[in-house]
Amino acid sequence: MASKDKVHSSITSSDQELVLASLEPEQLAGLKKHLIPRRHLRGLEKFVIWSLRIYLLFMMVVVIYQVWTSLR
Amino acid sequence: MNLGPLSRILPQAITQEDVVITHEDVDRAHDRVRVSAARAQRGVFSRFRLLWLLVGPGILVMLGENDGPSMISYAATGARFGIGFFIPFVILTFCMAIVVQEMTMRLGSATHRGHAELIFDRFGPFWGWFSMIDLSIGNFLTLITEFIAIRAGLGFFGVPPWAAIVSALVFLCLAVITHRYWTWERTLLAFAVFNLVFVPVALLTHPNWHSVGSALVTWKPLPGGLSQDTLIIMLADIGATVTPWMLFFQQSATVDKGLTTKDIGLGRIDTVVGAALAATAAVGTILATAPLLAHHMTAENFQAAEFAQALQPLIGRFGAALFALGIVEAGMVASVTISSSSAYAFGEVARRPHSLNLPMAEGKTFYSVLFLCAATAGAIVLIPGLPLVYVVLLVNVVAVLAMPPALVFLFMLANDREVMGDLVSPRWANILATSVVVFLTLAGVLFGISVIAPNMFVFLGGK
Repeated sequence: MASKDKVHSSITSSDQELVLASLEPEQLAGLKKHLIPRRHLRGLEKFVIWSLRIYLLFMMVVVIYQVWTSLR
Repeated sequence: MNLGPLSRILPQAITQEDVVITHEDVDRAHDRVRVSAARAQRGVFSRFRLLWLLVGPGILVMLGENDGPSMISYAATGARFGIGFFIPFVILTFCMAIVVQEMTMRLGSATHRGHAELIFDRFGPFWGWFSMIDLSIGNFLTLITEFIAIRAGLGFFGVPPWAAIVSALVFLCLAVITHRYWTWERTLLAFAVFNLVFVPVALLTHPNWHSVGSALVTWKPLPGGLSQDTLIIMLADIGATVTPWMLFFQQSATVDKGLTTKDIGLGRIDTVVGAALAATAAVGTILATAPLLAHHMTAENFQAAEFAQALQPLIGRFGAALFALGIVEAGMVASVTISSSSAYAFGEVARRPHSLNLPMAEGKTFYSVLFLCAATAGAIVLIPGLPLVYVVLLVNVVAVLAMPPALVFLFMLANDREVMGDLVSPRWANILATSVVVFLTLAGVLFGISVIAPNMFVFLGGK
């Protein structure tokens, strides 16, 4: 892998060796452009996150109402 | 090279020829070399050196969350309820924070990806954007309150508001100017330790230690019925310890620091030590303002500086000045951590470089987001006539309400065997995490009932 890697112009070969010896592959900034595969959400998971999303939206309305009544 | 758990689902990445080694990688590699050297040596000193090298994200996130509005919430708690139920209650909230934050540290160490990035990748942009909107709104409101705290705290010393905001922004610039995560982290840690300044302030009030011990054991005296005001204080105290920005920040900082699966044990110690320090400062603040209750002082509409002024006859000018300085420090450290949290999350979602190891030329987007968030929030605080007191009171409540949806994503990621491998959460951690979600949701529902259906709230035992 090391011989094929591209490096920034100001990074020396010793820096390159240091990086490849010290970091795990996924730690390299360049590898982070690769997306992690998406996972399928199960029915119960969808139900829970939708319920909590609705809960949050509703509670935000309650907070805005609370602020409005306090300001009045 | 060592392979982490994520390698199994990124097989193409390991053999790709288009990997570019950056300055960010080189800086992180230098940090890791020191960690490896300390780990290779035996002896107590080497163990402590290893711990010293690896602590940071956990302590910073916990002391960072002891921010302006949090300290004001604790001060209001002490002034209104004195020594009693809320002392063990606040400690309990920090135990919840440990459960939650340990998961983010474990996720970051195992995947080397930030929280926003993982949510976008694993659950898709639909849920990713919802999380980002929650984070952005919460972070921006909280940042405003940090600058309110800084302005109020420095106002105690006669510093004009514009000078207070400018000094906070200069501090933010100085913290990131070296473009080195390690320096940024150590500088901020040095400042964050000043959060403990509330402990000597508490000692100056000569607390009744017998009452403190009794409160810790019996959780009494109780607040005297569950009114809407009591409920808001409870929510504010919960929001003072567990908030969405903490999840995003600690995971991103763990990744930026370069922690790996080998470091998880010491990462846990980092998180627990951070929680212990923050809980000490929080309890210290409650004890510091408890005499205001004994002297029948009304503190309902107090902001930071008013607490310091009210305490001055009781603990003297020096103690009051320490209290005001503590509020300034809380705001300053949190303004840096919260801005960083926003910048990390934006970079992860926009697929732009995001690291405090980035030179300015490579991290223009990252640093621009960091500075713009802080500068805009600071500018808003200077607009005359805005009802800032409501923002301070409600920001922690909003944080509590936004936590359950954020925690469910964290819970699912921490149990995702494809990305975590054998590092998925154990059953006991899942039980604790589920309890935290249920507890926070119920607290939010109770608050909602108290606002929109006060009669039902009374029926449920409130008043």
